[in-house]
Amino acid sequence: MASYDLIPRMIPYMDRHLVFPLLEFLSLNKIYPNHDLLKAKYELLAKTNMVDFISELYKQIHDTDEVPSEFASKRQEVLQTLENLQTEAQKVLDIIENPEVIAALRQDKLQNLHFLKEKYGLTDEMVNTLYQFGQFQYNCGNYGGASDMLYHFRVLSTDHELNLSALWGKLASDILDLNWDAALEEVQKLKETIDSKSFASPLHQLQQRTWFIHWSIFVFFNHPKGRDSIIDVFFNPSYINTIQTSCPWILRYLTTAVVTNKRRKNILKDLIKIIQQESYEYRDPITEFIESLYVKFDFEGAQHKLKECEEVLSNDFFLVATKMEFIENARYLISETYCRIHLKIDIGGLSQTLNLGQEEGEKWIVNLIRDTRVDAKIDFKENTVIMNQNHTSIYQQVIERTKGLSFRSQVLSSAIEKSEALQSSSNAIDSIVE
Amino acid sequence: MSKEEFVGSRFFTGGSDTETEEEIISSEEDLSDEGNAASDENDSEDEGKRQVRSAKDKRLEALEACIKAIENAEKINDWVVIQNEFDKLNKIISKDPLKIPRLYIKTIASLEDFLSEALQKEKESKKKMNAIQAKALNSMKQKIKKNNRLYEEDIEKWRQNPVDEPTDESGYEEDVVKHKSRKPAVDDEEDDISASQDNDFIPVGGKIIEYTSDNLFKKLKEIMEARGKKNTDRLEQIKVLQKLLEVAATPYQKIRVLIALIPAQFDYNPSMSNYMNVDMWKSTQKEINQLLTILETNPQFMIYEFMEEDIDDKEPVIEPDQLFGIRGSIVSFIDRLDDEFTKSLQNIDPHTTDYVDRLKDETDLYDTIVRGQMYFEKNELNESTSRVVMRRLEHLYYKPDQVIQTVENTVQQLYPAGLNSKITSHTTGFDPTDLIHSLCVYLYKNGESLLRTRAMLCHIYHHALHNRFYVARDMLLMSHLQDNIHQSDVGTQILHNRTMVQVGLCAFREGMIKEAQSCLQEICGTGRTKELLAQGLQLQRYTQLPAEQEKLDRQRQLPFHMHINLELLECAYLTCSMLLEIPSMAAAGSNPEARKKVISKPFRRMLDYNERQVFSGPPENTRDHIMGAAKALAAGEWKKCQELIGAIKIWDLMPETQKIKEMLNRKIQEEGLRTYLFTYSAYYETIGLEQLATMFSLPINAVTAIISKMIWNEELVASLDQVDNVVVLHRVEPTKVQQLALSFAEKAASFVEANERTLELKQAAGQNQRDQQRQKGK
Repeated sequence: MASYDLIPRMIPYMDRHLVFPLLEFLSLNKIYPNHDLLKAKYELLAKTNMVDFISELYKQIHDTDEVPSEFASKRQEVLQTLENLQTEAQKVLDIIENPEVIAALRQDKLQNLHFLKEKYGLTDEMVNTLYQFGQFQYNCGNYGGASDMLYHFRVLSTDHELNLSALWGKLASDILDLNWDAALEEVQKLKETIDSKSFASPLHQLQQRTWFIHWSIFVFFNHPKGRDSIIDVFFNPSYINTIQTSCPWILRYLTTAVVTNKRRKNILKDLIKIIQQESYEYRDPITEFIESLYVKFDFEGAQHKLKECEEVLSNDFFLVATKMEFIENARYLISETYCRIHLKIDIGGLSQTLNLGQEEGEKWIVNLIRDTRVDAKIDFKENTVIMNQNHTSIYQQVIERTKGLSFRSQVLSSAIEKSEALQSSSNAIDSIVE
Repeated sequence: MSKEEFVGSRFFTGGSDTETEEEIISSEEDLSDEGNAASDENDSEDEGKRQVRSAKDKRLEALEACIKAIENAEKINDWVVIQNEFDKLNKIISKDPLKIPRLYIKTIASLEDFLSEALQKEKESKKKMNAIQAKALNSMKQKIKKNNRLYEEDIEKWRQNPVDEPTDESGYEEDVVKHKSRKPAVDDEEDDISASQDNDFIPVGGKIIEYTSDNLFKKLKEIMEARGKKNTDRLEQIKVLQKLLEVAATPYQKIRVLIALIPAQFDYNPSMSNYMNVDMWKSTQKEINQLLTILETNPQFMIYEFMEEDIDDKEPVIEPDQLFGIRGSIVSFIDRLDDEFTKSLQNIDPHTTDYVDRLKDETDLYDTIVRGQMYFEKNELNESTSRVVMRRLEHLYYKPDQVIQTVENTVQQLYPAGLNSKITSHTTGFDPTDLIHSLCVYLYKNGESLLRTRAMLCHIYHHALHNRFYVARDMLLMSHLQDNIHQSDVGTQILHNRTMVQVGLCAFREGMIKEAQSCLQEICGTGRTKELLAQGLQLQRYTQLPAEQEKLDRQRQLPFHMHINLELLECAYLTCSMLLEIPSMAAAGSNPEARKKVISKPFRRMLDYNERQVFSGPPENTRDHIMGAAKALAAGEWKKCQELIGAIKIWDLMPETQKIKEMLNRKIQEEGLRTYLFTYSAYYETIGLEQLATMFSLPINAVTAIISKMIWNEELVASLDQVDNVVVLHRVEPTKVQQLALSFAEKAASFVEANERTLELKQAAGQNQRDQQRQKGK
C-alpha cells in the first residue's frame, strides 16, 4: 500500500509544521515502522522552537529519561527571545488597540501608517517586530497567536515581500489552528496575490503555485464548501498547467473532488482528458477507475479499481473523510454510464458490478431511477431493468439548430445600425473639420 | 581615312622617336590587315612578296612579329606601343579562338609580370611618367587583367612547366631574365620579394629564396597584404605558407602561420556552390588540430577575435606567466570546416563509394569539434563554446545510439589524456542520451535564443528517435516553439519540420495513430514534403523559381545520410490516414454534409483517383497497397486489408517490424469493426456480440468496449442488451423531407455565420479606412 502513499512526494512542498499532522496520521495507520516515523518527526521538529515536545520525542526514540543539556539551554534561549519580542510587540499592540486609533483608521494603508507614525511614534521597525513575533510564535507552535500577530502586521505593513510571507504564515497558522473559515479566506487572498503578482521568472511563479496547491488541499478537504472551490481553483488553466507540469499526483485529489461533487458533472469531460494526458506520468487506482470507466468502458475493471480505491482512500490523510461519499458517487457514475449504454440489464449482473448483493442492488436501482430520472422500468419476472430509449427526434434537432438564428441575426442588424450611426457621425465631424 | 594620315597620327600620339623598324613594319602589316583583310588581292600581294605559306603559318608569323614588337617596346618602357601591339595580338588570336598557341600564353604571362614590375617601379620612383605613357600603362593594366582571366588555366600550366617547347622559348626566356637583372635595384628587400616570386614561377636562372624562421614574419606580412587582391595566386600563397610552417621554429611563429594558412585554404575556392577539395580539407583539418595542440601545450597564448592587429614583425618577448593575445578566431575555422564538409556531402553523389569515404572523415571533424569545445571551455570563451557545442549536437542528434557510442569512443582515444570537459564529463559507460542531454542543457543555460531553439529541437528529435513520445511532446508543447517558428530562419524551420516528422513517426511506432496523423499532417499533407524537409528540390511545374532562390535552396539541402526516408514517411502517414478516414467516411454514410469533413486531403484525393480507374491491377508500390487496403477496409474485409498492409516492404526499415505489424493488425481489426457497424447498422435490427467477436476475431470484451464507446460518444444510435448479448440498433433513417429540413437548417446557420464574418471584416476594414482618412486629414 505504501506505493500509493503520496506523502513522501508532497513533503517537499509543505512547511515543517504542516508535515507534522501528516506524520501523525501515518503513525496511526502503521504503514511504516513506528521507530522510523518517530525519527522522522524528531528530524522534522529539531529545527523548530517546540523544545518541550522535541525533548519528549528524544526520550521516546532513545528510550531514556535523560535529556541532553542543550535542550535546556535552548529552552532558556527560546523563552528569553519570546519575552523580548513580546514586550516589543506589546508596544505596537497597545497603540493599535487604543479605541481612538481604531476609530481613526481608514481604508488606505499608507494614510493609516502615516497617521500612526505622526501621532503615536510608530516606526517601521516596530511594525516588523510584529512579523518577527508572529514567526517566532509559529515556530513555537502557538499558531493562534501567530495568526493574530500576522493579521495585525498585514494591516499595517506596506512591504510587499513581507506581506506575502505573512500571508503564507497566516494560512499555515490557520490551517494548524483548524480555523477553516479563516483559512479559506486566506486561500482566496493568497491566490489573488500569486496570480496578480508579476514574478521575476515563470519558474518562481510555478513554484509558488505548486506550494499553494499543496497547502490549499488542507483547507479544501476540511471546509464544507471546499470541494466546490477546489474544482474552481484547480480547473483554472494556470493551475491545471501547474498540476500537469510539477505535481501530477494532485490529480488524485482533483478526481476525488469531482467524483464526490454531484452538481459539477459537466467538468468530468475535462477531467477525463487530463487524466488521459497524464496517464503516463501519474496513475493510481482513483484515476484508473475513471480511465477504465470512461476511456476503456471496462465495467469489470472499474469495479476492481473501485475496491482498490477504498483502500487507498482510507490511507490518505486528506481523503479519509470522503471515502464513503466517494464510493457512493462512484457507484452512481458506473450505473449511469451502464444505463446509458444498455437497453436491458440483468439486475444480478449490475449488482455484482456495483459490489452489492441482489437485494441491495435492486434497492439501489430503484433509488437510482428515482434520483437521476433515468427512464427505466424493472421487469420483475425476468429480473431485468429495461431502459426506455429516448432519441431526439428530427423535429427536435431542427428546432435545436435554428434556435439561435433569429437572435444572432438581430445582433447583426443592431451592429450594422450602430456602425452606420457611428460612421455618419464621424463623417459629420470630418466635414466640420474640413 | 588614308593610310598615311593614320600612320602619321599614330606616330604623333606615340610621341616617341625611337621606334624601331620592326615596329613600323608590323604596324603596317597590321594596318593592311585592318584595312582590307577581306580582300583576297591584297593578301595575295603579301604572299607574293614572301614565300607561299599556309594560313596557319601566316598567323603564327604575324603573332611572332607582334610579340617581337612588344618585347622591344618593353625594353624602352614604351607603353603606348605595347598597348597597340597587344590589341593587335588579341585580334589575331580572336580569329581562331579555339587554338591558342603557347607562344601567346607565354607572352601574356610575361607581359603580366612585366606590368606588375613596372607598376611597382612607377610607384616608387619620384619621377613621374609622362601623361600619355601613364595612361597607356593604366589601360594596359586593365586589359591584361581582363584578358588574362580568360586564359588563367593555360597560364597556370605554362608557369608550372615553362620549358615545354624549348626551341621557341629559350630565346625569349633569356631576354626576360636579362632584362630583369638589368633593372635597377631600388630596394634590396623589394627585389628579394619580386625575385622570389618570379623565381618560383620561372626557375631558369635567378636565385632561389630560402625561407627561414628569421624572415618569416616579413613573408607573412607580404602574403597577408596580397590576400584578397585580384591576381594573387592563391595556390601559390598556400604553398608558401606551408613552407613557412615547416620552417617556423617557435610556437608563436607556428600560430601566426597557421592563422594565415587556414583561411588561405578556405579561400582557395571562391565560389559558393563548389566545395573544397577533399585533400585540402583534410590538411586544413589537421592544421586546425595542430593549432589546437599548440595552444593546449602553450597556454600562455590566447587567440581572441577582438584584438588589435599585431603589427610588429618580431618575435615578442613573452613572460612565462603572462597571457599573450593573438588575433584570430578558431571557432570560425571550425564552423567553416564543418560547413565545407556539409557542402562536399551535398555535392557528392550519395550512391557512390566516394560518399561513404567522405563520410568516414566525419569522425576526424567531430574530433576537431570536441577538441575545440574543450579548448574554449578551458579558457571560458562562452560564446565560442556554445557555437561549438551546437555544432557537436548537430552531428549527434539524428544518429542512433550505437553510432554515437562508436564515434565517442574513437574520439576519446584521439585526444590526449588530461583534457576533460565539464559540460560532458566522460565517465565510464556513458549513455548517448545523457551526452545529448548535457549538451542541450548547456545550451539552454548559456546559448542565445536561436541556439536554444535549435538545441531544443535537436533534443526533441533525439527523444522521438528513441520512442519517448510523451517526453518529446511535452518538451514541444512547453517550449511554445510552434507559436513562433514561422518567424525564424529557414534552417531552423527545416529542423522544426524534421522534428515534427520524427515525433509523428515516434507516435506511429507507439501505436498512437491519431497523434501520429496530426503530427505528420502538417508536413505530409502539403505535398511539398521534399522541400519542407530539405531533402531534394521540388519540381516546379508552373512557376520558374529565380536562379538565386534555387541556388539558396540547393545550399540548404541536407546531406543524404541525414535524410528521413520519404517513402516510409508517406507510408506511415497514409496508413494513419486510412485508419482514421475510412471509419469516418463510413460514419458519414450518405449524409452529404458529414462527407465533407475531411481528415486527410491527400488520402482522399488518392482514393478518389484510385476508385475512378476502370481496371486496377495488382498493387505494385506502397501507395497501391494502401489504397487497396483502404478499399478492403471500407468493405469490411479486414483480413485482406491486413494482408495488403503487411505486404508493404518498407516496414522493414522500422525497428521491430514485427511488433509494428502486430499493432497495425490489431488497429485494422478494431477499425474494421467500427467501419462495419457504421456501414451496415442500417440493415440490422440486432447484431449478436458473439458473432461480431468471431467475425473480427477480437475478444468479446474488446468488442463490447468498442461498441460502448461508440454509443457513449453518440456515434452509433444503439444500445446493448445484456441479457441476450446483442446490440440493438435504433437507427432511423430520416425521410426525405426530414433530411432536407435538416440540411436547410444547417445552411441557414452557415448563412448567418457567413454574414457575421462579413460584417466583422467590413468593420475592421472600415475602421482602417477611417483611420487612414483621419491621418490624411491631419
